[in-house]
Amino acid sequence: MLEIKNLKSRIGDSEILRGLSLSVKAGEVHAIMGPNGSGKSTLAQVVAGHQDYEVTEGSVAFKGQDLLELEPEERAREGIFLGFQYPVEIPGVNNAYLLKAALNAKRKHHGLDEIDAFEFLKLAKEKMATLGMDPKFLNRGVNEGFSGGEKKRNEILQMAVLEPELAILDETDSGLDIDALKAVAQGVNALRSPERAIVLVTHYQRLLDYIEPDFVHVLSQGRIIKSGDKTLALELEEKGYDWVREAANG
Amino acid sequence: MTRLPTNKLREIVGRLPTTRDEDWKYTDLSRARDITSRWLDAGGETDAAEMAEDIARITASIDATWFVIANGELQLPDDAPGVSATHLDEAPAADSALAELNTALLLDGLRLRIDGTPGKPVGLLLIDGAASAATSQAYVDVVFAAQSSGEVIEYHASLGATDHYANTMVGITVGDNAAASHVRIQNRDLNHVQTGRTRVAVGRDAKFSSAGFDLGGGLIRNDIVIDIAQPGAEISFDGLYLAGEGQHIDNHSRVDHRVGPATSSQEYRGILNGKCRCVWNGKAIVHEGADGTDADQANHNLLLSEKAEIDAKPELEIYTDDVKCSHGTTVGQLDETSLFYLRSRGLDKQQATQVLTHAFAAGLVSRVPVEPAREAIGALVEARLATLIQSNEYFS
Repeated sequence: MLEIKNLKSRIGDSEILRGLSLSVKAGEVHAIMGPNGSGKSTLAQVVAGHQDYEVTEGSVAFKGQDLLELEPEERAREGIFLGFQYPVEIPGVNNAYLLKAALNAKRKHHGLDEIDAFEFLKLAKEKMATLGMDPKFLNRGVNEGFSGGEKKRNEILQMAVLEPELAILDETDSGLDIDALKAVAQGVNALRSPERAIVLVTHYQRLLDYIEPDFVHVLSQGRIIKSGDKTLALELEEKGYDWVREAANG
Repeated sequence: MTRLPTNKLREIVGRLPTTRDEDWKYTDLSRARDITSRWLDAGGETDAAEMAEDIARITASIDATWFVIANGELQLPDDAPGVSATHLDEAPAADSALAELNTALLLDGLRLRIDGTPGKPVGLLLIDGAASAATSQAYVDVVFAAQSSGEVIEYHASLGATDHYANTMVGITVGDNAAASHVRIQNRDLNHVQTGRTRVAVGRDAKFSSAGFDLGGGLIRNDIVIDIAQPGAEISFDGLYLAGEGQHIDNHSRVDHRVGPATSSQEYRGILNGKCRCVWNGKAIVHEGADGTDADQANHNLLLSEKAEIDAKPELEIYTDDVKCSHGTTVGQLDETSLFYLRSRGLDKQQATQVLTHAFAAGLVSRVPVEPAREAIGALVEARLATLIQSNEYFS
C-alpha cells in the first residue's frame, strides 16, 4: 500500500530524513518509534504533503501511484489520513461543517453522491458515541478551546468518519489521560481491517499496550535503524533508545 | 428646493477634497468629479431607470419598514408603524464641500423620528443607476427619542453598471437613555463611486451599536463621526470590507469623547484579494475633562494577494488623564498551518481559503446588531467571499 524508498527530505537548510525506506501492506499496523528529533513527525508530514518539507531524493508510492506528485487534498481523497500531533484550532469554522465538507470532498472524488445533512448527522453521532464524545462538539469551532485530549479525540473522530485506507497518527497518545487513551485506541482498533493500514508514530510504548502493532521500527537521525515485532517496543521501553543506536553504529 | 445654477455647482465640485487633504490622502475623488461634470454637461438630469424589481427583491430580503431613495428621489412607505416621517423642509447646514454638494443637489430629504419601540427596523434603501452617468444625493436624519429603542438599516445598492456618483449624508440622534442599532450594507457596482457620511450624536446613558459591510463599489469612502457630549454613552461599531480587483474602500471613523464616563469600541476587518486598496483610519479624540473614557480600536486585515494594499492608521488624541485607550492593527496572510490542516482533510485550496475567510468574517456577522438583517448579511458576505476568492490568479 505504501512504499517509501530512500526518502530524503529537508526543511530549510536542515536535512531531516536521510534515506528512509519503509513498506506498509494492507491490513498491517506499524509503529514508528524514536527519540525526539529523529524525524518521526517529518515522515508523517511528508507523506501528508506539507509544503514546507522538500523531498530531495527517493520515492513514495501509495497504491502504486507516485504520492509526491499529488496535492495534500488529493492524497486525503485517495485515502490517506494524518492525525496531527498538534491539531489546529480554527475558530469560526464549525466542526460539523468541516467533517461534512471533508467527507463530501472524498465521496465526490470517488464518484459518489454527497451525503445529506440528515445522514451525516446520524453517522457523526454514531461515531462520536463510540469515542465517548458529546454530540455538542459538532457545533463548536474546530478544536476551539478543546483540551489536549478532546483535540486528539476529535482527530480520531475525523478519521472514523473519513475511513481512510492509510492512517498515520502522529503522537496521538501524547498528553492523554488513561480514559482518553483508551477511547483513542478503541477508535483506531475499530478501523483495523484487512483493507486498511495504520502507522503509529509514537515516543512511548504506552499506546502499544492498547493497539498491538505488527511491526515496530526505530527511527534515528532520519533513518530506520532497527525493525522488529511488538517485543521490540517493550525492549525499547526497558533499555531506552541508546541501546539500539549503539547497536546500529557498532 | 431650487437648484443652484450650473456654474455654482461646478464651483462646488471643484472644491471637493483632493489627495492633498490629509483626511483624503489615499482616496482620490477625481472619478466623482468626472462623473458629476459629465452629468452636468449633459444637462444634469437623471433618466428614470426601471428599478421596481430590484427594489422589491432587496426590500423583501429583510423584514423592515422601507423608505426608498432611488436616484435621490424619496418614496415613502404606505404605513410606517412607530415611525413618524416628514420631508425635510429646509436645506441642512453644510460644513464641507461634500455637504454643500449634497445640499445643492438634494431633491428631497427625509426626517424620521422613532418613539418607543417600533416592531420592525427602519430600512433606508439608497439605490442608484441611470441610463447615463449621473450623480445623486441623499440626506436622512433619524431621531431616536429619549427612552426609545430601535434599529435602522442603511442599504446602498446600484442598478446596472453605468458610472454613478452617490453622495449620502445620514444623521442619527440617540436621545437620553435610548438604544439605537444601525447597520450599513454597501453592495454597489464597480462603476459606482460613493461618499457616505454617518453622523451620530448620543445623549446621556444612550447606547449606539453599528456594523458596516462593504461588499461592492468601485471607489467607496465612508465616514462615521460620533459625538459624545453627555456622560454614560456606550458606543460600539464594526466594519467589514471585502475588496477585490479594482476596488478602493476607505473607512474613516472619528469619535469625539467630550465628557466621561463613556465607552467606545470599534473593530474593522478586511479581506483583500487582487489589485485593490483599502484604508482604515480610526480616530478617537478624548477631550480635556472627559475622565472615565474607555476607547478601543481594532483593525485586522487578511491580504490574499501581493497586489492588495491596506493603509491602516489608528489615531488616538488624549487630552485628559483618567482614560483607558487601546488599539491594535494586524495585516497578514492566511495561516499556512490552518490551510494545510484543511487540505489534509480533503478540501482543495480554494475551499480551504473560503472556509478560513468565512471564519475571519464570521465573528462580525454573528454580532450584527440589527437581528432581522443578520441572515441576509450573512448570505451577502458568503456570496461576496465566494466571488472574491475565485476572482484572480491566486489559485491558478
